[in-house]
This record gives sequence, C-alpha cells and structure tokens, in this order.
Amino acid sequence: MINKIWGKLWRLIFILLIAALCLKACIRRDVPRHFPQKLPDSSIENIIYPDKNKNVTINGIDFLQTQAPVGKFGGELILSTIGEGPKTFNPCNSKDATSSSMAGMLYDGLVTTEPRTGEVIPLLAKDFEVNGNDYIVHLRHGVKWSDGKPITADDVMYTYQEIIFKGLGNPSSMENMKVEGKLPSIVKIDDYTVKFTTPKPFAPFLRQLSTPIVPKHYFKPYSDKGESEFNAFLSPNTPPEEIVSNGAFKLKEYVAAQRVVFVRNPDYYKINTQNERLPYLDKVVYMIVGDTNNEILKFEAGELDLLSIRGENVARYKLREPNSDYKIYNLGPDTGTLFLLFNLNNRKDSDGKWYVNPIKQKWFSNRDFRAAVDWAVDRKNMVQNIAKGVAKPLFTAESLNSIYLNKYIKGHPKDKKVAEDSLKKAGFYNKNGILYDSDGNRVEFDLYTNAGVLEREALGVMIKQDLEDLGMKVNFKPIEFNTLVNKLSNTNDWDMAIMGLTGSPLEPNDGKNVWKSTGPLHLFNQRPQNYKVDDRLEWEKELDEIFELGAQKLTFEERKPVYDRYQTIIYNQKPIIYLYSPIRIAAIRNKFKNVFPTPLSGLVYNLDELYIEDGELK
Amino acid sequence: MEFAKYIFKRILQTIPLLIIVSLISFFIIRLSPVDPLAELRLNPSISQETLNKEIKRLNLDKPIYIQYFSWAKSFVKGDLGYTSAGEKVSVKLKERIPNTLLLTLVVIFMTWAVGVPLGILSAIKKETAFDRMLTILASIGMAIPSFFFAILMLMFAVKTGWFPVGGLTSYDFNDLGFGAKIIDIAKHLCLPALVLFTISLSGLQRQMRANMLEVLDSDYVKFARAKGLSEWKVVFKHALRNAVNPMITLLGFEFAGLLSGAALTEYVFQYPGLGRLILEAVMKSDINLVMASLMMGTIMLILGNLIADILLMITDPRLRRGGE
Repeated sequence: MINKIWGKLWRLIFILLIAALCLKACIRRDVPRHFPQKLPDSSIENIIYPDKNKNVTINGIDFLQTQAPVGKFGGELILSTIGEGPKTFNPCNSKDATSSSMAGMLYDGLVTTEPRTGEVIPLLAKDFEVNGNDYIVHLRHGVKWSDGKPITADDVMYTYQEIIFKGLGNPSSMENMKVEGKLPSIVKIDDYTVKFTTPKPFAPFLRQLSTPIVPKHYFKPYSDKGESEFNAFLSPNTPPEEIVSNGAFKLKEYVAAQRVVFVRNPDYYKINTQNERLPYLDKVVYMIVGDTNNEILKFEAGELDLLSIRGENVARYKLREPNSDYKIYNLGPDTGTLFLLFNLNNRKDSDGKWYVNPIKQKWFSNRDFRAAVDWAVDRKNMVQNIAKGVAKPLFTAESLNSIYLNKYIKGHPKDKKVAEDSLKKAGFYNKNGILYDSDGNRVEFDLYTNAGVLEREALGVMIKQDLEDLGMKVNFKPIEFNTLVNKLSNTNDWDMAIMGLTGSPLEPNDGKNVWKSTGPLHLFNQRPQNYKVDDRLEWEKELDEIFELGAQKLTFEERKPVYDRYQTIIYNQKPIIYLYSPIRIAAIRNKFKNVFPTPLSGLVYNLDELYIEDGELK
Repeated sequence: MEFAKYIFKRILQTIPLLIIVSLISFFIIRLSPVDPLAELRLNPSISQETLNKEIKRLNLDKPIYIQYFSWAKSFVKGDLGYTSAGEKVSVKLKERIPNTLLLTLVVIFMTWAVGVPLGILSAIKKETAFDRMLTILASIGMAIPSFFFAILMLMFAVKTGWFPVGGLTSYDFNDLGFGAKIIDIAKHLCLPALVLFTISLSGLQRQMRANMLEVLDSDYVKFARAKGLSEWKVVFKHALRNAVNPMITLLGFEFAGLLSGAALTEYVFQYPGLGRLILEAVMKSDINLVMASLMMGTIMLILGNLIADILLMITDPRLRRGGE
C-alpha cells in the first residue's frame, strides 16, 4: 500500500518538475516581443577613412605604407568560414570561394582593389602604367618570399606563362583572359619590370592582374610534373612550414573540419606611418563551421570575433548592442541576387523529346506572360516578411552595390491590374478564377527551388500565392540543391525556378557565362555544348554583342552606357525576374580598431591593419 | 583448426556480399539525379573548360558500368581514389577515423559500464520504485531524437559557458601543454558523448533487463534457488552467464558502428568525425568517398558479426557442438 502511494508521489513530482522546467523556459525572454520595423541605424557614412596607401623606399626596399592610425602589435582575430573548409592552398587551383580566400591570405597579386572606390591600385607591384593594350608593371625592390628569396619578374613570368596560360589547375583564369580566343603576351623587360600586351583592347585585364603571384622556385618542380601532380600540390595537408608564400600571413596549421590558423609574416612589405612592419595581429584563425546556426552560437559563446547577421536576427542583435562587446555595421546591399527564372528552352533532346512541353514553351516565350509574372510578385512583401526588412527590392541584373548599376531602372510596385492586362494582351483568359491560354489549355507549371534554404522555400510559397491570384496553378517543388542544378544545367526539364547567384560589383564582364548565349550558365535558355545552330532570340544577339563590346572599351565612362543597355534589355525582356538583394549586416568585437567597412569590400578586408586596443590584449 | 576453418569459410562468404553491396550502392548513387559538380556549375566565374576538365577527371562522361569497373579495379588494388574536390579519399578518411573512434569508444565504454549493471539491477529489483524510475528515464532516452537533444545541449553550452560550442579542440590547442590538451578534448567530448550515451544507454539497459528477467524466470534458476544457493550466487554465477549471450551479439553490432559515426549528432556539434563527412558526401554524390565509407561499413559489420560469433562459441558450449 505504502509502496503504491510512493509510486504515485514519484510520478507527480516528476511531472511537476518537467512542467516547471518547460514553463521556466517560456517565461524567460531576452528581447521584447515587438521588433522595430525600421532598419538599425549603423550606417558607415560617418566613418573617417584613412588616406590612400603610399610607396616608401627605405634602405633600398620599396615598402607599401598604410596611412591608417598606428596600432599595437599582438593578439588574434577569430573568424569563421562556413562549409567544409579549404580544399587546397594552391591559389592557381582553387575552384571554390573558401579555398580562394584561404589561398588569397597566403599569396598577394600584383594589384588589388581600392576598398572604397573600386579602382585598381598596386599591391605587390610598386606601380603600373597602361598604354592602350600595353600594361607595364614595376615590381618592388627588396621584397621577399617567406623563405628569404627575392620576388622578381621571373616569378611573375612563371606564374603567367607556365601556369595560367597553360591552363594548369583551374583553367577558368586562362579562359577569362582570352580575347577572341587569343591570350595576352608577357615580356620581361628587366628583373623588376614586366610588360603584358593584350591582342585587342580588353578592359577586364587590368583587374585580372590581381591573380596571385606564386614562387617559381617552389612551384616549378610540381608544375613540371604535369596536371595531376600539380592538382595534388599544396593540398590542405601540406606541412605548413614547407609552404613558401608572400602574403601578410603565413599558414600555421590546418585541422580538418575544425580550423585554419594563420600567423603573422614578419617580412611583409607593408608598413605603418612609423615604418614598423605590419600586420599588427599575431594570428588570424578561421574556424570551419558547418552552418550559420552554429556560427551564431559560436559568436554568442564568444568563440568568434565577427559575425554576419542575417534577416531575422538583426533586430535582436541591435537591441543587445548597447550592452555588448560588439559593434554592428550596415554594409548595404550585397552582391547576392535572388531571382525567378523562366525556362525559354525551345529545343529537343537527343532522343527527339522536347525539354519543355510545347504548350508551356508558348507561355514562357511570350514577353507579356513574363511581364505579368513580374507585375504580380510582391517584392515589398518579400522584403518585409521573408528578409525581415533587411533587404532591398531588386529590378536589375547588376547587384545594387555594383559600380555599373543602371540607376535609371526604377522598378515598380506590385500591380495585379497591370498583370491581368498583360495576360489579356497575350491572349490568356480567366474563367471562374482559372487561367487558360488562347488554345484553351489551363496554365499550370512547376516551380523549383533548393530545399533546406528557408528563405527560398518561403519565397516559393509567396510567389505561388501571388501567381495563383492570377488564376495560374503553380506546383511548388523544393528539391535538393545538387539535383536542382542538374535539372537547370543538364536535363533542362524544368519550368520555373527560384535561384540566387553572386556577381561581381566591379566587373560586369564576369557575368558573361550567364548572359552570352553559349555561356555554360545561360540558365534561362541553356544551349548544349558546341551547339552549332544559331537560334538566338533578337535580344540574345544584342546581349552577345554587348558583352563583346563592353570588354573592349577601356574606360569606365565608355563602358557604363554599354552595360546600362544590357540591364535595360534584361529588365524589358524579363527572362529573369529579380526579386531582392539582402543587406549585409555584420558585427565585430569592439576591441578591434582600424575597422573601416565599405560597401564594396566588406568589414575586414584590411586584416593587416587591424589591431587590438591596449588593455584588451591577453 | 576448427576455428581457422570456420573463419576462413566466413571470410570467403563475404566476397560476394561485398560485390553485391558495392554494385547496388554504386548504381543507386550514380542513377540519382544529383550533380556532383553543382557548386562549380553555379559559379559564374567557372568556364566551360574547367567543367569539362572536371567531368573528365571524375569519369562522368563514361557509362555507369565503366565507371563502376574502374572504381572496382582501383578498390581491389587498395586505391580509394579522389573525392570530387580532388583530395585523396584515404587521406580524408584518415583525418576523421581517430576522431570518430575516440567518440564512439568513449560512448560504448560508458554505455556498457553503466547500462549492463543498471539492467541487472532493475531486473533483480523488478517492479520497485527504482525499476519504474529507470523505465521512465529509459523511455525518455529512447523517445528523444538525438539531434534535438544535441541542440538542447548546445544551447545549454551557450547559456552557461561551461562547455565549448562544438568542435573537438580549441583554436589555440597546439599551444597548450599536455595536461591542458587532454582537458580541452575532454571538455569538447562531454556534450556529444552525453547525447549519444543517453540515447544508447536506454536501449542497452532495457535489453539487459529483459534478458535477465527471462533467465531469472527459468527452471534452472528456480532449481538453484531451491538448492539453497545464496541470491548472489544465483544471480551472478548462474543467471548472468546465460543472460549475457544475446549481449555479445549486440557487442558485435557495436563494433560495426565504431566507424559509421553518428552523423546527426556529429553535425549538430560540428564534430570532425566520419559521420558528418559521409553525410556531406552523400548530399553531393561524391561517389568515391561514399563508396569507401560504405565498403568500410560493410566490412566492419561482417567483422563485428564474426567476432561476436566466435565469442559466442567460446562462451556457449551448445554452439560449439552444433558447429560440428
């Protein structure tokens, strides 16, 4: 009897305990329920930027001198990289963003980008002259590789002639330098001067000189052995002390799936105004984290010094900022674009089967149909509800921070009336809320996106609703990322898709793989490789011409109207309907100084100038 | 001699098994509409030439059966090939195996050291408050999804700051002294080990309890009791030895699980183990990596069963007689 009562009592206590714990969790809230709808004011307009870098020669060594305030030496910065970490440290063989940025830590190129204006400025080169198609580059005297050997014209010659122009590693860098199938030539003038000549005027070339320069004496034994040896060279498991580099930081260790640690290069050629060699920081650590959630947790636990904050989290971080040890910066719209894509493919596959059902082909190839979709989607609603206000509506093919952005394209709000008129014009009719085309077929199609990305799935649901208001039937199908890409670029069996791409805010020619009619990423009308038939649409022809012409004009003033035109064509023809660009918000711990964020280059492009304020050093 | 013959026979039997497993998995992975080059394709700065080169390197332009044969040929030679990103598969696996072994060994040791005694205890004290309490805890342990529990633990780590948030070592690990290194790893291991421990403990405890109850109910135990043996002797000398047999089979499975890792838990804790590596590889259809891990899993499973069978033959005289 007593046993039974005890048993019941136990159960009661247990249940009460669980309930109490659950309730406790509900009561505690660290943020008020009402988030401010306004974007946090952390603009970077009031930042006073230092003057531009200067060249200073001391004891025969050509230094690069930063004009940023003098800081304190020591300390470490802990950053994160999302994904699996670097796949190689070989800058000539990197094919993904993480590998490129890690290799970029180790190897400097001849030139770099001015972080605010985007113009090309010297880095490893002392200076350069451009005369028509000739590019003369002067190297710095007395600058050394990490093993003490001097950096000379031979290294530059080697990097271009024996690696890039031969297509070793990642042949994209070679392909991107070709003008009408021809490569530039390179001549050594003396030990510290080289001259590049492009076969025709080619504007993107100057910026391509930012390709990292590698040490001949270290790379040559491997590049001589051919493709497969070179691909395995500088794999992440290379002993760090072996690596010969010239960047501000040297590799200290790589721990698979955990972190990459860089240490200060004491022989770096950049100095401060007191002529002390930079960088200030002893160490820069990249923690390899699997996803953004883990990144957020690590930042909150103090294990990271910097965090990119996305949509829904911005308000929360902003509210906490005054009582925290970090500062938030609003870097403006980023280079990422989200868009809705139509499949304009009107070809048959090798078995004679249509890629796209001919009934649907008729809809998608109709500009008025595409315009109706454009007018029906509610970008404002998307920005408010999906991006939580941390984004801007987008109407142009160039991203909003691009220096080539066509500012005349103003866009338009959602207007169901215009959409309906447009459909009527194209011969569609609406009966009992169901949309039929002029042949009496019901308008029904599939809309794909990659599953697992909450933002895109929410976009799909919203677009589906907007289009179903017009009477269309949309089958929204989120599928796995790699499967989706297979559909988009190989099997071509899709109707509409929501995708995103990152572009370059500085060089519109980088988008040629997307816009040229034979480009491997011409997603909205993907032609097979080596396709001989000319079935280009009128405006596709014009785009081809624009991308040929734009690359051959050398000055910004000449190029701007050309690239304005391409954005106008895309906006008028609407093969791709742009939706919005997220705004980049980032937080960095207060103790770091010399932080000069810019919309073009982000928050910590100047790792060599960052320092930790006195008293914060361990 | 008899053992050697038996083992040899078992090993011969595994060969067709391996072939069938590899065939089925290879074709399923390759026939799925997943593009291993998806990330490259969507990168606007990657040219067609780079893509063609990658397609050639990965043999994607050849028919599936040729891909299979070239894989099988190098596998038999002991060459596991390269991942789709161009790294050596054997190197990738070698990086992760010690980490996964560390975690699984700690967890298996903990569960068996705690689970078996608890199972025995709750069988002896059947239907008491203690047994009921354990039953409730075991049900909770079995019902709670591992990833959810792992997330709860991570939040706990963030709020309290007592444990690091995921990973296996701190960023300054290599600058630490030997003692500090061990403490650092232990700190990182605590939470993932706790999650896996809780989840596998309940199963093991229930299993041991059931075995023990069955044996305690049998005639020979009643007879031993009737003989007037002390309860201690009845339980540990007679009952336990018989109850432990099914557990040996279970131990064989545990062995098979040594290297398969716990993908979900590893993923949540960002633990650099095999499970996470393979999960990511499957999503990208990284065929050589997936095949290597599948073959490894199959071999471990066969080995585990073999070891369990041999152990059973040693502990259970009935099986030895049956084998002749």
